[in-house]
This record gives sequence, C-alpha cells and structure tokens, in this order.
Amino acid sequence: MANDARGALLRPPASRARSDRALAYLLLAPACALLLGLIAYPLLRAVWLSVHDVRLLQLGTATYVGGAQYLASWADPAFWIAVRQTVIWTVGVVGAQLVFGMCGALLLNKPFRGRAFWRGVALIPWASSSVLVALMWLWLLDSNYGVLNDVLRRLGLLHTAFAWLSEPRTALPAVMLAAIWQGTPFFAVMLLAGLQAIPEDLYEAARIDGGNAWAAFRYVTLPLLRPTILITTMLRTMWVANYMDLTFVMTGGGPGVATLTVPLYAYFAAYKRLAIGAGAAVAMQLAVVLAGAVLIYMRLLGSVEAAE
Amino acid sequence: MIRSPWVRGIRPAVLCLALCVLLIAPAFSQAQAPTTVSYWLWLDDPTDPMFPALIKEFNDSHPGIRVVPQVIPLDQFHDKLVTAISAGSGPDASRFKDWWLGEFVQAGALEPLSPYVARWSGRNDVIANLWNTGRISPTGLIYMMPHQFITFYLYYRKDWFQQAGLQPPRTFDEFVAAAKRLTDPAHNRYGFGLRGGGGGQDQWLAFMVAGGARIVDALGHVVVNSPKAVAVNQWYIDLYRTQKVAPPSAPSDAYAQVLGAFEGGITAMFAHHVGSSVLVTDKLGATAVGVVPIPVADPKAPATMATMAGNMMLRGSKNKAAAWTFVSWLTERQAMDEWSRSRQGQLPVLTSLAASPSYQNNVFFKTSFDEAKYAITWPGLPGVGYVSAQLWQQLMQQALLGQISSQQMLDRIATALASK
Repeated sequence: MANDARGALLRPPASRARSDRALAYLLLAPACALLLGLIAYPLLRAVWLSVHDVRLLQLGTATYVGGAQYLASWADPAFWIAVRQTVIWTVGVVGAQLVFGMCGALLLNKPFRGRAFWRGVALIPWASSSVLVALMWLWLLDSNYGVLNDVLRRLGLLHTAFAWLSEPRTALPAVMLAAIWQGTPFFAVMLLAGLQAIPEDLYEAARIDGGNAWAAFRYVTLPLLRPTILITTMLRTMWVANYMDLTFVMTGGGPGVATLTVPLYAYFAAYKRLAIGAGAAVAMQLAVVLAGAVLIYMRLLGSVEAAE
Repeated sequence: MIRSPWVRGIRPAVLCLALCVLLIAPAFSQAQAPTTVSYWLWLDDPTDPMFPALIKEFNDSHPGIRVVPQVIPLDQFHDKLVTAISAGSGPDASRFKDWWLGEFVQAGALEPLSPYVARWSGRNDVIANLWNTGRISPTGLIYMMPHQFITFYLYYRKDWFQQAGLQPPRTFDEFVAAAKRLTDPAHNRYGFGLRGGGGGQDQWLAFMVAGGARIVDALGHVVVNSPKAVAVNQWYIDLYRTQKVAPPSAPSDAYAQVLGAFEGGITAMFAHHVGSSVLVTDKLGATAVGVVPIPVADPKAPATMATMAGNMMLRGSKNKAAAWTFVSWLTERQAMDEWSRSRQGQLPVLTSLAASPSYQNNVFFKTSFDEAKYAITWPGLPGVGYVSAQLWQQLMQQALLGQISSQQMLDRIATALASK
C-alpha cells in the first residue's frame, strides 16, 4: 500500500493521469453496465422489435419489415384518435394539476392550526395505488350507486341515472378528473418546497412598496417559483403522457375508443393482439415525442443551474 | 484419555466413513426430494379456502410431488402467461380458458394431452363432447383437460314477473316484451342488464347463437358476418339503442355492474351462469330469483354459449409426468366435487357427478346441464384471444353508441378471427 503510493508519486505526471483515468473507468464500469443493461438494452430491443413482424408467443420467428409497422399505425384511424386524446389528456391533466397544485401549495404555505396534519393528508391521493384510485372513482361515478349522481339528483339537476363513463363526451373528462385528483398533491408538494425557499423579506419589500397580495404573487412568488414550475411541469408531462393505469381500469379505452390513448393503444397491440412488434412501433413514436420533452427538460435544468 | 493403538488405528477409518456419509447424504436427500410442479390459476374468489385445502390434500396423498400454486387474477392472467411463456419461464401446468387455445396451440406452446388421456382411467367419465373444448378441431389432438364449464342462462326477478303477470321468457319476442314491460327509467328500472363492458362477449355470444347466428360453419369457415349474424347482432344492439330496455351505463358495464344492478333491484333480467347463483340468491332470496335457459329466436333450434376453464401443460415443462398426475387428479371425482361445490363452483365435467342428486336438485345447475346438450363454444381460432380480450368490447361499445353499424362490427371481428 505504502509502496504503491510512493510509486504513484514517483511516476511522471502523464502516466499518473493515465492510471487515474483507468481507475475512474473501472469505478464507473458497474454503473455503466447497469445503465446499459437496464436502459440501453430495452431501448435497442424496442427499436429492433418495431422494425420486425414478431408475435409475443413466437419471439423466435421474426421477419424484418422495416417501417411497415409505423406506416400501419398511421393508416389506422384509431391511432390518430388515440394521438388526439393523448394530447388532450396530457395538456388537460398536467394543466389542471398545476393550477390546483399551486392553490394547494399557497394554502399549505399559510400558517394555520394543524398545518402539518393537513400537509400529510394532502398527500394521500398521490400515495394511493393507481388501481385503488381507479376503483374508487369508478364507484364515485357509478350511474346507480355513485355519490356524484346522488348529489346531482338531490340538487334536482339530474332526473335519471347518468352514466359518466358510458357516454363518449364525458368519459375522457371523467377519467381526467380522477388523474387530476391523484396527481395534484405532487405539484402541491413540489411548489410548496419552492415557496418555502422564497425569502420573507421580499414579500415585506413588496408590502412596503404598496403592493397588494396579487402583486406579491405576480412579481415575487411567480418569478421565483418559475424554475420549480417549469421542471415539475416537464416531469409530469412525461409521466402523464404515458400513464395508462387509470384509463385501463376505469374504461379500458372505451366506450369504443373514447378514452383510448397512445400507451393504451400500444399495450393492446402488444398484449391483446400479441403483435409486440406493432406495439413497439407505436411505443417508439411516443418515446421520440417524449424525448423532445426530455431535451427541453434538460435545457431548463441547465438554465436553472446556470441562474443559481 | 485412552490412546490405545486400536483407537489410533480406527480413527482414520471413522473419519473416512464420516466423510463418505457427508458426501453421500445430499445425494440421498436429492433422490427423495419431491418433484415440484408449478401451477398457475385464477380464482373468482381468491379468499376461498377450498383451493389451499385441495392442494394440501394432493401434496399429502402424493409424497413424490409437491404442487406450488400461484394465484393470478383472471384480468391479468392472459398477459402474464403470454409474457412468461415468451420469456421461457412459464409454469409446468396452468388453468386455461378455451378463448386462448387457438393462439397458444398455433404458437406450439402447449403439450398435446391425447397420449396421456388415452392412458388415463378416468377418461370415460368425462362428458364426451366436452373433450372438444380442448381441441382445435373435432378430430384433432386434445390440448386442454376439461375441468369446470359454464353455460349461459337467464336470471329473472320472479317477484317482478309475478306482479306484472308475466311468464318467464322462452323466445326472443317474449324476452323483449317482458323487458319493455319492466322498464321504467323514471324509477331507474330496466328490463335487461346488457353487458357492453369487459367480459361481455360471452353473454353476447349466448344471444347470438340463440338467435341462430354462428361464428364458424361446419367446415370451420368464419361466418360471423353473415346476413343472419348481422341481423341477430342488430337485434342485440337495439335492446340498448331502440328498445331502450338496458340501463344507460350498459356500454361500459362489466360483471360487477350487471351483477350489482340485478342485486340492487335496477334490472329485471341478466344473463350469467352458476358462478353467480349463490351470490344472487343470498342477496335477493331464493323466492325472488328465477332462472330459465337463454331465450331463443326459434324454439325448435335452441342454443346458448358454453365456455370451459380447463387445465393445460406447457410443452417446455421438465416435469410433465408429475404435472399430468396433478392435472388429471383435479378432474377426478372427489377433487372435482369439492371444487364444484365451493364458492368458485361451476359445472363438473363428469357424467357421474352431473347425474348426482346434489346437482340435479339445484335449479341453477340443472338448467345449466340441460343447456349443455346444445351449447356452443368459441371456436379454436388463434384470433379468438384478441377478439375476446379487447376487440369485441371496443366494437360493441362503438355499435351501442351508434358509431359503427352491426355489419361493420362483425366484419372487423370476422377479419380478426380469420387472420392467421
């Protein structure tokens, strides 16, 4: 050991740098192997699957078909319906989660009795399993036994049972409502952390300058919270776009194709039609679009770090 | 300490012996270790103590075999099995639905059971035509061991029918007339619990074949989009669209919703099988619940649908002999009786059990057995798995909402069924 250290000191600097680099690569190797195995291999495999006609029960027999499966997805009207609905789903759910999350964060940031308790309670939707959330909303929205219909009936707004999840116009908004409910606490907690990092003296300065609550929010809270808002929104956009648990359990993409989204479309192709190649082709397209979101996210992250 | 030359002389021999024992012992214990058979299944009620008791009974009575079961919900069963087999890590044997037979046989994933069945002493007790539920064609190899089957019948509210002076329906016309009579949306009452959501394809097929439509003809050609089938399908769609005898939630209603609506006094009739008879009678009382065969278009040509939950062995299994011992044991009289009488209870596939008073005196079992004589199953086509798992639901919902016609719906089903 001591000899080694002496040896290293005695070696010329170039050789020491080389051996340091070698050691660095050696130490990085396990992490790289893990990344290659867990991220690069599945990704490359998905690319390979997307250009081969391969069925799930017969993975051994694959025929190279080039971009045919991509073209086939574009020729299916249901795919474009799924694309449109994925955009509505993602923008609607993330947008509403941001607005409600902001309201929640502002409320939880105010000092009041039992604040710690309510901060904990607010996390329950986020901590609940997706299937549980889906089943809960399924029964809340049930046309016969659901709380929503019962309240509307008592208020005299509804006279016969209304089936929220069986009606194409209301099915997607109904599932989105469940997703908004589930994901809002995440925004609230992230934004709350951002809010708590804003120095109180800035608000004091705003008050001294004669600013009201709105002005304080507009000129102090919002600009300082901007990095948190942007990064949380980007992260949620990526998660929500390929999130299909609620839709799968609550409607199975239905009625008809009224709540079909791209990840669900890919899942049906791969696991119900057993055409895993076709499923991979659809999943790859979603991955490319989301990779765009990742790039924006990384640039944002870079600009935030530069600002700090 | 005694250190005689004799003791010193024997010491190496004792050490050698001890070493030999240490080396040989694991080999002995390996030779006596039972063969482990992994078995996958779904249970309609996973809390039912019947199944763990049955496994214990088998393992205790077969010291050379140890069955290790894994219970997976039916909703995820197909996905999990497909993934495991594709990855080469499936079980030795598994519970299986006739819906999936075509695609799994086409993929060469199942072990043909015909040679095993030929040597099995219990084979003559199995209701003869039920072997066909495990075959792709009536003369082909058997891939699935019959175990528990169901035929679809119609539950009706006896008390409501009596109050309205109605007879339980035997024909399509009587069925529609009764359903219309008992529909009163203002009081949230509907004649028929139509199942447009998950799993609704079996109920639909029961009415399709009862109306005279067929999925395939005698030669095995897909005829699900024939003019006759299109007309019967239109009749079924119209129960919701024009006759309006089904609740507004019908397009998305799955089992929980149609059962809940019948139990909750919202619907007067719904089609299901013996699997729900205990639940329904416990909830509403035996006097309020009646059962009749699925109404038919032509009383001279009765038909309904049957579906089999059997057992298969995977071709890749290394423990086929032990797996067969277990799979065949499940279809033997005592195990079959225990299963059929449990909360999972469906129809036993054995002639001797079907004829026994405990099944013949139960109106739900009896009606089901009576229907079994003319019941029709899904054909053994590879596309049935896709149609039953997803496509039917999507298309039926679109048809119920008026987005596609009966013909368009059946054309797409025909294409999926006919594709290789």
